[in-house]
Amino acid sequence: MNTVSDTNTETTLLNDIVLVAENRDTRALTRLFDHYAPRIRSFCLAAQPGANLMADDIAQEVMIRLWNKAHLYNPSSASLNTWVFTIARNARIDYMRKNGRYQSDIDPESFWSEMVDENADPFREAQQQRDQDRIREGLMKLPNDQRQVLSKVYLEGKSHSEASEDLGLPLGTVKSRVRLALNKLSIFIKR
Amino acid sequence: MLCYHPSLDMLTDYSSGSLSLPHALGVSAHLDQCADCREQLRRLNTLGAELFAHQETTAPEAKLDSLKASLMEKIGQQPQPTERRAPAVDERLRSIPASLRRLIPNGYDELDWMSLTPSFKLAMLSNEPGGAQVALSRIKAGAHMPTHTHTGNEITLVLSGAFSDEDGVYRKGDFICRNDDDKHRPRVTKDAECICLIVLDAPIEFTGWFTRLLNPIMRRFHPSTVPSNA
Repeated sequence: MNTVSDTNTETTLLNDIVLVAENRDTRALTRLFDHYAPRIRSFCLAAQPGANLMADDIAQEVMIRLWNKAHLYNPSSASLNTWVFTIARNARIDYMRKNGRYQSDIDPESFWSEMVDENADPFREAQQQRDQDRIREGLMKLPNDQRQVLSKVYLEGKSHSEASEDLGLPLGTVKSRVRLALNKLSIFIKR
Repeated sequence: MLCYHPSLDMLTDYSSGSLSLPHALGVSAHLDQCADCREQLRRLNTLGAELFAHQETTAPEAKLDSLKASLMEKIGQQPQPTERRAPAVDERLRSIPASLRRLIPNGYDELDWMSLTPSFKLAMLSNEPGGAQVALSRIKAGAHMPTHTHTGNEITLVLSGAFSDEDGVYRKGDFICRNDDDKHRPRVTKDAECICLIVLDAPIEFTGWFTRLLNPIMRRFHPSTVPSNA
């Protein structure tokens, strides 16, 4: 995790999403693919180890959504990484729903939103950047056991109780590790 | 200022995508009305994005190349992206949280309400086989909801009006999560009827001598006791 090169990469990716939105630039899309597709695949394989077909399908689906929705992306409502993460998460939920894990007549499209927040302003963008920097640095300093639980929850898509089964830890321990981590990263602001 | 919110655990599961769809729907309808929780969620999503962005990636080069080739072929067939503006919202739907509009397409009055008592009506929004039940409850101004206990977790989100119970007063946008030990008797405030979204893991059990007769009805409509497609 090198913060300087991260920032450079992020600037390039941000330019590329604008090129896709404004010029339908396919070369910019390939660069976005080179960066994001391997991450989307890993994200899917974390939830379903060995499911390479699913990982390929979802990676492609997410890239198509980026192509079709690039003009809706608003940097003051979310960073590009956050936007792509929420799209990948939604695509994974969708895929699992259609393939039986969640049988439901509720359509997650209508509410697990990709946060196109119309009210976002430039002030928010600066706040967002600060949050992101703090979370990124905080993650590097997090004890392994807390980081491991966060990966279970976010990358493997496990609920707290599924994570506790996987790790052979009491549910209370999992919950308190998540809470400790969220506190250290100042994610939960007391109301 | 709202007083009752989803727990941090629940928001985390919402952000990571592991919350069941019926619960996520309840959380989302609260988020539509709560800027505080939207901020928490924004930070939780940023955390998810950081973990996502810094994963180990191991896909073989050749595989990615063929995936890329097939993507480029597909985007050639995509229609031009649609305009940004969403269609104007129907007047009847304005007071309904955006997340619920698809389930309540013609407003509250057009739903299929069942009268369980003269002052208490219920309309089913979704029955997920093996999952939770999503419904709206509608109680007349000043009326009590029949005394009941929960046989599982219950989420209540106030959509209009207000009600109170032993623990407090709940207003539009408030999100209340109760578990199976609670036995309570909510009462709607006198000024207006109260409509709530309720998400039930298991059928409500009514404990009053008369309303006990409703239990077979509640069970009949709960997905945990209904064969799928019923």
